[in-house]
Amino acid sequence: MRTVKLSARSLFAAALLAGCGAPFTMKTPPSMVELDAQTEYAYRAMTPDGVVLGVRVLEGDGKADVAFWSEAVALHMKELSGYALLGTSEVVTANGFKGKELRFGHDEGKKPYLYTVRLFVGRTHTFGRKDLFLVEAGGTKDEMERAGPTLDWAMGTLKLR
Amino acid sequence: MEAPSPPPPPSPQAVGAEDRWDGAGNAFTDDALSAGSIGGKDAPLHFAAPKGRAPGSAAPKAPGTTTPSTTTPDASQHADAVPHRESMLIYTATLVLAVYQVDTSLTRIEELTRSLGGYLASRTDSAIVVRVPRARFQDELGEIGKVGDVLHRTIEAQDVSDQVVDLEARLKNARAVRDRIAQLLQGATATKDALAIEKELSRVMGEIEQMEGKLQLFADKIAYSTVTVTFQPIRTSDVHAMARLPFPWLEALGLGPLLQVK
Repeated sequence: MRTVKLSARSLFAAALLAGCGAPFTMKTPPSMVELDAQTEYAYRAMTPDGVVLGVRVLEGDGKADVAFWSEAVALHMKELSGYALLGTSEVVTANGFKGKELRFGHDEGKKPYLYTVRLFVGRTHTFGRKDLFLVEAGGTKDEMERAGPTLDWAMGTLKLR
Repeated sequence: MEAPSPPPPPSPQAVGAEDRWDGAGNAFTDDALSAGSIGGKDAPLHFAAPKGRAPGSAAPKAPGTTTPSTTTPDASQHADAVPHRESMLIYTATLVLAVYQVDTSLTRIEELTRSLGGYLASRTDSAIVVRVPRARFQDELGEIGKVGDVLHRTIEAQDVSDQVVDLEARLKNARAVRDRIAQLLQGATATKDALAIEKELSRVMGEIEQMEGKLQLFADKIAYSTVTVTFQPIRTSDVHAMARLPFPWLEALGLGPLLQVK
Protein backbone atom coordinates (compact mmCIF):
# COMPACT_ATOMS: atom_id res chain seq x y z
CA MET A 1 0.00 0.00 0.00
CA ARG A 2 2.81 2.29 0.95
CA THR A 3 4.63 1.62 -2.30
CA VAL A 4 1.57 2.51 -4.32
CA LYS A 5 1.12 5.79 -2.48
CA LEU A 6 4.74 6.66 -2.80
CA SER A 7 4.64 5.83 -6.48
CA ALA A 8 1.67 8.12 -6.91
CA ARG A 9 3.59 10.82 -5.14
CA SER A 10 6.58 10.15 -7.31
CA LEU A 11 4.39 10.43 -10.39
CA PHE A 12 3.17 13.74 -9.12
CA ALA A 13 6.71 14.87 -8.50
CA ALA A 14 7.72 13.64 -11.94
CA ALA A 15 4.78 15.49 -13.50
CA LEU A 16 5.84 18.62 -11.73
CA LEU A 17 9.39 18.13 -12.88
CA ALA A 18 8.40 17.38 -16.48
CA GLY A 19 5.32 19.48 -17.16
CA CYS A 20 4.99 22.27 -14.71
CA GLY A 21 8.63 22.79 -13.98
CA ALA A 22 10.52 21.23 -11.08
CA PRO A 23 9.29 22.43 -7.69
CA PHE A 24 12.89 22.89 -6.66
CA THR A 25 16.39 23.09 -7.99
CA MET A 26 19.55 21.81 -6.47
CA LYS A 27 23.01 21.67 -7.92
CA THR A 28 24.93 18.42 -7.96
CA PRO A 29 28.43 18.87 -6.59
CA PRO A 30 31.35 17.74 -8.80
CA SER A 31 32.19 14.94 -6.36
CA MET A 32 28.72 13.42 -6.66
CA VAL A 33 26.80 11.89 -9.52
CA GLU A 34 23.08 12.43 -10.03
CA LEU A 35 21.12 9.21 -10.39
CA ASP A 36 18.54 8.94 -13.13
CA ALA A 37 15.09 7.39 -13.10
CA GLN A 38 14.49 7.63 -9.40
CA THR A 39 11.02 6.49 -8.41
CA GLU A 40 10.69 7.43 -4.80
CA TYR A 41 12.90 10.49 -4.86
CA ALA A 42 12.61 13.57 -7.01
CA TYR A 43 16.36 13.82 -6.93
CA ARG A 44 19.12 11.52 -5.79
CA ALA A 45 22.86 11.74 -6.06
CA MET A 46 25.74 9.90 -4.48
CA THR A 47 29.45 10.06 -3.84
CA PRO A 48 31.82 7.33 -5.06
CA ASP A 49 32.10 5.95 -1.52
CA GLY A 50 28.35 5.60 -0.98
CA VAL A 51 27.05 8.75 0.64
CA VAL A 52 23.61 9.41 -0.79
CA LEU A 53 21.76 12.70 -1.05
CA GLY A 54 18.07 12.64 -1.87
CA VAL A 55 15.14 15.01 -2.17
CA ARG A 56 11.52 14.06 -1.81
CA VAL A 57 8.59 16.29 -2.61
CA LEU A 58 5.42 15.39 -0.74
CA GLU A 59 2.58 17.20 -2.35
CA GLY A 60 0.03 18.72 -0.05
CA ASP A 61 1.74 17.47 3.09
CA GLY A 62 2.85 20.98 3.85
CA LYS A 63 -0.45 21.45 5.68
CA ALA A 64 1.50 21.66 8.91
CA ASP A 65 4.51 23.82 9.60
CA VAL A 66 8.16 22.87 9.79
CA ALA A 67 8.11 22.71 13.58
CA PHE A 68 5.33 20.13 13.50
CA TRP A 69 7.00 17.96 10.90
CA SER A 70 10.38 18.18 12.58
CA GLU A 71 8.91 16.90 15.79
CA ALA A 72 6.99 14.19 13.98
CA VAL A 73 10.11 13.02 12.16
CA ALA A 74 12.26 13.14 15.30
CA LEU A 75 9.73 11.12 17.27
CA HIS A 76 9.23 8.64 14.49
CA MET A 77 12.93 8.05 14.00
CA LYS A 78 13.65 7.76 17.70
CA GLU A 79 10.62 5.86 18.90
CA LEU A 80 10.05 3.53 16.03
CA SER A 81 13.42 3.15 14.40
CA GLY A 82 15.77 3.51 17.34
CA TYR A 83 17.78 6.31 15.76
CA ALA A 84 19.68 8.62 18.09
CA LEU A 85 18.88 12.28 17.63
CA LEU A 86 22.30 13.91 17.63
CA GLY A 87 21.21 17.46 17.03
CA THR A 88 18.95 19.91 15.29
CA SER A 89 19.54 23.28 13.67
CA GLU A 90 17.74 25.93 11.75
CA VAL A 91 18.50 25.98 8.03
CA VAL A 92 17.47 28.11 5.11
CA THR A 93 17.28 27.45 1.38
CA ALA A 94 19.20 29.53 -1.14
CA ASN A 95 16.02 31.49 -1.79
CA GLY A 96 15.05 32.09 1.79
CA PHE A 97 12.71 29.27 2.84
CA LYS A 98 13.29 28.46 6.48
CA GLY A 99 13.60 24.84 7.49
CA LYS A 100 14.99 22.51 10.09
CA GLU A 101 17.79 19.98 9.97
CA LEU A 102 17.68 16.87 12.12
CA ARG A 103 20.86 14.83 12.53
CA PHE A 104 20.57 11.21 13.53
CA GLY A 105 23.00 8.43 14.29
CA HIS A 106 22.31 4.75 13.92
CA ASP A 107 24.33 1.57 13.96
CA GLU A 108 23.81 -0.73 11.02
CA GLY A 109 25.26 -3.97 12.25
CA LYS A 110 28.12 -2.67 14.33
CA LYS A 111 28.97 0.18 12.01
CA PRO A 112 27.90 3.73 12.94
CA TYR A 113 25.97 5.63 10.29
CA LEU A 114 24.78 9.20 10.11
CA TYR A 115 21.53 10.34 8.60
CA THR A 116 20.33 13.91 8.21
CA VAL A 117 16.98 15.26 7.11
CA ARG A 118 16.18 18.83 6.23
CA LEU A 119 12.52 19.78 6.14
CA PHE A 120 11.03 22.71 4.30
CA VAL A 121 7.45 23.71 3.63
CA GLY A 122 7.03 25.32 0.21
CA ARG A 123 4.92 28.27 -0.74
CA THR A 124 1.16 28.01 -1.08
CA HIS A 125 -0.03 27.05 -4.58
CA THR A 126 -3.27 25.82 -6.18
CA PHE A 127 -6.15 25.18 -3.76
CA GLY A 128 -4.04 26.42 -0.89
CA ARG A 129 -1.79 23.39 -0.99
CA LYS A 130 1.75 23.46 0.23
CA ASP A 131 4.38 20.89 -0.52
CA LEU A 132 6.72 19.39 2.00
CA PHE A 133 10.33 18.98 0.92
CA LEU A 134 12.61 16.44 2.53
CA VAL A 135 16.31 16.66 1.82
CA GLU A 136 18.00 13.54 3.14
CA ALA A 137 21.63 12.49 3.32
CA GLY A 138 23.10 9.32 4.72
CA GLY A 139 26.11 7.09 4.84
CA THR A 140 28.63 5.64 7.21
CA LYS A 141 29.83 8.01 9.90
CA ASP A 142 33.33 8.30 8.44
CA GLU A 143 32.11 8.87 4.89
CA MET A 144 29.43 11.32 5.95
CA GLU A 145 31.98 13.30 7.91
CA ARG A 146 34.28 13.36 4.90
CA ALA A 147 31.42 14.37 2.63
CA GLY A 148 30.16 17.02 5.05
CA PRO A 149 31.36 20.08 3.12
CA THR A 150 30.11 18.63 -0.18
CA LEU A 151 26.66 17.93 1.26
CA ASP A 152 26.47 21.34 2.88
CA TRP A 153 27.37 22.93 -0.43
CA ALA A 154 24.75 20.95 -2.34
CA MET A 155 22.01 21.56 0.23
CA GLY A 156 22.93 25.21 0.27
CA THR A 157 22.06 25.45 -3.40
CA LEU A 158 18.49 24.23 -2.86
CA LYS A 159 15.83 26.59 -4.13
CA LEU A 160 12.12 25.99 -3.74
CA ARG A 161 9.72 27.33 -6.33
CA MET B 1 9.97 25.55 62.42
CA GLU B 2 8.45 23.74 59.57
CA ALA B 3 10.38 20.81 58.17
CA PRO B 4 11.44 21.50 54.59
CA SER B 5 9.88 19.25 52.04
CA PRO B 6 12.17 17.23 49.79
CA PRO B 7 12.49 18.23 46.15
CA PRO B 8 10.64 16.05 43.67
CA PRO B 9 12.43 13.12 42.04
CA PRO B 10 14.01 13.93 38.67
CA SER B 11 11.12 12.80 36.54
CA PRO B 12 11.31 9.03 36.87
CA GLN B 13 8.55 7.22 35.07
CA ALA B 14 7.80 4.88 37.90
CA VAL B 15 8.96 5.45 41.43
CA GLY B 16 7.50 3.91 44.53
CA ALA B 17 5.53 5.98 46.95
CA GLU B 18 8.12 5.42 49.66
CA ASP B 19 10.83 6.91 47.51
CA ARG B 20 13.14 9.56 48.94
CA TRP B 21 15.34 11.87 46.91
CA ASP B 22 17.76 14.51 48.03
CA GLY B 23 18.70 17.70 46.32
CA ALA B 24 21.80 16.16 44.80
CA GLY B 25 19.63 13.75 42.92
CA ASN B 26 20.60 10.87 45.14
CA ALA B 27 17.93 8.33 45.61
CA PHE B 28 18.40 8.27 49.36
CA THR B 29 19.10 10.95 51.85
CA ASP B 30 20.27 8.75 54.66
CA ASP B 31 23.38 6.71 54.63
CA ALA B 32 22.36 4.42 57.40
CA LEU B 33 21.72 1.57 55.08
CA SER B 34 24.86 2.04 53.06
CA ALA B 35 26.90 1.71 56.18
CA GLY B 36 24.46 -0.11 58.40
CA SER B 37 23.56 -3.65 59.00
CA ILE B 38 20.72 -6.05 59.15
CA GLY B 39 20.54 -9.51 60.57
CA GLY B 40 20.64 -8.87 64.28
CA LYS B 41 23.44 -8.74 66.80
CA ASP B 42 24.48 -12.36 66.44
CA ALA B 43 25.76 -12.03 62.91
CA PRO B 44 24.98 -8.60 61.53
CA LEU B 45 25.07 -8.42 57.78
CA HIS B 46 26.87 -5.30 56.76
CA PHE B 47 26.24 -3.15 53.75
CA ALA B 48 29.19 -1.94 51.83
CA ALA B 49 29.68 1.78 52.13
CA PRO B 50 29.92 3.66 48.85
CA LYS B 51 33.45 4.10 47.64
CA GLY B 52 35.22 7.13 48.98
CA ARG B 53 32.83 7.72 51.82
CA ALA B 54 33.09 6.64 55.40
CA PRO B 55 30.33 4.43 56.75
CA GLY B 56 27.71 6.54 58.40
CA SER B 57 28.88 9.72 56.73
CA ALA B 58 26.34 12.02 55.21
CA ALA B 59 25.36 11.69 51.58
CA PRO B 60 26.64 14.51 49.38
CA LYS B 61 24.12 17.25 48.79
CA ALA B 62 23.82 19.97 46.27
CA PRO B 63 24.27 23.51 47.56
CA GLY B 64 21.09 24.98 48.94
CA THR B 65 19.27 21.70 49.14
CA THR B 66 17.59 20.22 52.13
CA THR B 67 17.21 16.82 53.60
CA PRO B 68 13.84 15.33 54.41
CA SER B 69 13.14 15.25 58.11
CA THR B 70 12.41 11.53 57.99
CA THR B 71 16.00 10.37 57.68
CA THR B 72 17.16 7.26 59.44
CA PRO B 73 19.30 7.65 62.56
CA ASP B 74 22.96 6.72 62.41
CA ALA B 75 23.01 3.00 61.81
CA SER B 76 26.15 2.48 63.86
CA GLN B 77 24.20 3.47 66.97
CA HIS B 78 21.27 1.27 66.12
CA ALA B 79 22.78 -1.83 64.66
CA ASP B 80 20.46 -4.04 66.66
CA ALA B 81 17.34 -2.12 65.85
CA VAL B 82 15.03 -2.97 63.01
CA PRO B 83 16.14 -0.78 60.10
CA HIS B 84 13.98 2.16 59.23
CA ARG B 85 11.33 1.34 56.66
CA GLU B 86 12.66 3.94 54.22
CA SER B 87 15.97 2.14 54.08
CA MET B 88 14.48 -1.06 52.75
CA LEU B 89 14.09 -0.06 49.14
CA ILE B 90 15.66 -1.84 46.22
CA TYR B 91 16.19 0.51 43.30
CA THR B 92 16.34 -0.68 39.73
CA ALA B 93 16.38 1.25 36.51
CA THR B 94 15.97 0.21 32.91
CA LEU B 95 17.02 2.49 30.11
CA VAL B 96 16.61 2.04 26.40
CA LEU B 97 19.10 3.96 24.32
CA ALA B 98 19.00 4.60 20.61
CA VAL B 99 21.21 2.30 18.60
CA TYR B 100 24.25 4.38 17.79
CA GLN B 101 27.88 3.57 18.51
CA VAL B 102 26.79 0.78 20.78
CA ASP B 103 30.26 -0.65 21.52
CA THR B 104 31.63 2.74 22.47
CA SER B 105 28.61 3.52 24.61
CA LEU B 106 28.75 0.17 26.41
CA THR B 107 32.38 0.78 27.29
CA ARG B 108 31.64 4.31 28.48
CA ILE B 109 28.84 3.07 30.72
CA GLU B 110 31.12 0.43 32.18
CA GLU B 111 33.83 3.01 32.85
CA LEU B 112 31.54 5.57 34.42
CA THR B 113 30.00 2.88 36.61
CA ARG B 114 33.45 2.01 37.96
CA SER B 115 34.19 5.68 38.49
CA LEU B 116 31.08 5.89 40.67
CA GLY B 117 32.13 2.94 42.78
CA GLY B 118 29.99 0.39 40.98
CA TYR B 119 30.74 -2.70 39.00
CA LEU B 120 29.76 -4.57 35.86
CA ALA B 121 27.20 -7.32 36.38
CA SER B 122 26.88 -8.47 32.78
CA ARG B 123 27.41 -7.25 29.24
CA THR B 124 26.33 -8.46 25.84
CA ASP B 125 26.61 -6.94 22.36
CA SER B 126 23.57 -4.77 22.89
CA ALA B 127 22.99 -4.55 26.63
CA ILE B 128 24.77 -3.94 29.88
CA VAL B 129 23.79 -4.47 33.50
CA VAL B 130 25.68 -2.55 36.14
CA ARG B 131 25.42 -2.16 39.90
CA VAL B 132 26.11 1.13 41.60
CA PRO B 133 26.06 2.21 45.23
CA ARG B 134 22.58 3.48 45.79
CA ALA B 135 23.86 6.90 46.81
CA ARG B 136 25.25 7.22 43.30
CA PHE B 137 22.21 5.78 41.57
CA GLN B 138 20.91 9.10 40.29
CA ASP B 139 24.41 10.19 39.27
CA GLU B 140 24.69 7.01 37.23
CA LEU B 141 21.38 7.67 35.48
CA GLY B 142 22.40 11.23 34.75
CA GLU B 143 25.72 10.16 33.27
CA ILE B 144 24.14 7.43 31.16
CA GLY B 145 21.79 10.07 29.80
CA LYS B 146 24.84 11.85 28.42
CA VAL B 147 26.19 8.72 26.73
CA GLY B 148 23.40 8.44 24.21
CA ASP B 149 19.89 9.35 23.26
CA VAL B 150 17.66 7.85 25.95
CA LEU B 151 14.46 6.63 24.37
CA HIS B 152 12.84 5.30 27.51
CA ARG B 153 13.65 5.17 31.18
CA THR B 154 11.94 3.26 33.94
CA ILE B 155 12.86 3.52 37.59
CA GLU B 156 11.39 1.24 40.20
CA ALA B 157 11.66 1.13 43.96
CA GLN B 158 10.72 -2.15 45.60
CA ASP B 159 9.97 -1.97 49.30
CA VAL B 160 11.28 -5.09 51.02
CA SER B 161 10.74 -3.92 54.58
CA ASP B 162 8.21 -6.63 55.35
CA GLN B 163 10.40 -9.40 54.01
CA VAL B 164 13.46 -8.16 55.86
CA VAL B 165 11.65 -7.66 59.17
CA ASP B 166 10.02 -11.07 58.88
CA LEU B 167 13.30 -12.71 57.98
CA GLU B 168 15.07 -11.03 60.85
CA ALA B 169 12.44 -12.19 63.33
CA ARG B 170 12.64 -15.74 62.03
CA LEU B 171 16.41 -15.60 62.16
CA LYS B 172 16.36 -14.38 65.73
CA ASN B 173 14.04 -17.23 66.72
CA ALA B 174 16.12 -19.79 64.85
CA ARG B 175 19.25 -18.64 66.61
CA ALA B 176 17.52 -18.93 69.98
CA VAL B 177 16.41 -22.44 69.07
CA ARG B 178 19.95 -23.26 67.97
CA ASP B 179 21.34 -22.06 71.32
CA ARG B 180 18.82 -24.14 73.26
CA ILE B 181 19.57 -27.22 71.18
CA ALA B 182 23.28 -26.68 71.73
CA GLN B 183 22.65 -26.58 75.47
CA LEU B 184 20.63 -29.77 75.24
CA LEU B 185 23.44 -31.39 73.31
CA GLN B 186 25.90 -30.52 76.03
CA GLY B 187 23.68 -32.20 78.60
CA ALA B 188 22.90 -35.29 76.52
CA THR B 189 24.26 -38.51 78.00
CA ALA B 190 22.88 -41.21 75.75
CA THR B 191 24.48 -41.53 72.30
CA LYS B 192 21.07 -41.99 70.68
CA ASP B 193 19.84 -38.72 72.20
CA ALA B 194 23.02 -36.91 71.22
CA LEU B 195 22.66 -38.07 67.61
CA ALA B 196 19.03 -36.95 67.45
CA ILE B 197 19.90 -33.56 68.95
CA GLU B 198 22.82 -33.14 66.56
CA LYS B 199 20.54 -33.89 63.62
CA GLU B 200 18.08 -31.26 64.78
CA LEU B 201 20.92 -28.80 65.41
CA SER B 202 22.17 -29.38 61.88
CA ARG B 203 18.73 -28.72 60.46
CA VAL B 204 18.33 -25.49 62.40
CA MET B 205 21.85 -24.38 61.42
CA GLY B 206 20.91 -24.98 57.80
CA GLU B 207 17.83 -22.81 58.18
CA ILE B 208 19.89 -20.07 59.81
CA GLU B 209 22.40 -20.13 56.96
CA GLN B 210 19.60 -19.91 54.41
CA MET B 211 18.04 -16.93 56.17
CA GLU B 212 21.40 -15.22 56.55
CA GLY B 213 21.98 -15.74 52.85
CA LYS B 214 18.65 -14.18 51.98
CA LEU B 215 19.32 -11.22 54.24
CA GLN B 216 22.74 -10.79 52.68
CA LEU B 217 21.08 -10.83 49.27
CA PHE B 218 18.62 -8.14 50.34
CA ALA B 219 21.48 -6.13 51.80
CA ASP B 220 23.36 -6.32 48.52
CA LYS B 221 20.34 -5.43 46.42
CA ILE B 222 19.54 -2.47 48.65
CA ALA B 223 23.10 -1.21 48.91
CA TYR B 224 23.73 -1.49 45.18
CA SER B 225 21.12 -0.38 42.69
CA THR B 226 20.84 -2.26 39.42
CA VAL B 227 20.82 -0.37 36.16
CA THR B 228 20.09 -2.16 32.90
CA VAL B 229 20.82 -0.38 29.65
CA THR B 230 19.75 -1.83 26.34
CA PHE B 231 20.39 -0.56 22.87
CA GLN B 232 17.62 -1.57 20.58
CA PRO B 233 14.99 -0.10 18.37
CA ILE B 234 11.52 -0.57 19.67
CA ARG B 235 9.49 -2.87 17.51
CA THR B 236 6.38 -1.40 16.00
CA SER B 237 4.25 -3.98 17.74
CA ASP B 238 5.53 -2.74 21.10
CA VAL B 239 4.16 0.73 20.62
CA HIS B 240 0.63 -0.14 19.61
CA ALA B 241 -0.71 2.18 22.29
CA MET B 242 0.88 5.19 20.63
CA ALA B 243 -1.19 6.86 17.94
CA ARG B 244 0.85 7.26 14.80
CA LEU B 245 0.58 9.92 12.17
CA PRO B 246 -1.10 8.52 9.03
CA PHE B 247 1.60 9.68 6.65
CA PRO B 248 3.25 6.75 4.88
CA TRP B 249 6.32 8.77 3.97
CA LEU B 250 7.32 8.75 7.62
CA GLU B 251 7.75 5.00 7.32
CA ALA B 252 9.99 5.50 4.32
CA LEU B 253 12.45 7.69 6.19
CA GLY B 254 15.83 6.38 7.22
CA LEU B 255 19.02 4.96 5.88
CA GLY B 256 17.48 1.87 4.34
CA PRO B 257 15.38 3.52 1.64
CA LEU B 258 17.88 6.31 1.06
CA LEU B 259 20.91 4.08 0.55
CA GLN B 260 19.05 1.53 -1.54
CA VAL B 261 19.98 3.09 -4.84
CA LYS B 262 18.84 1.77 -8.19
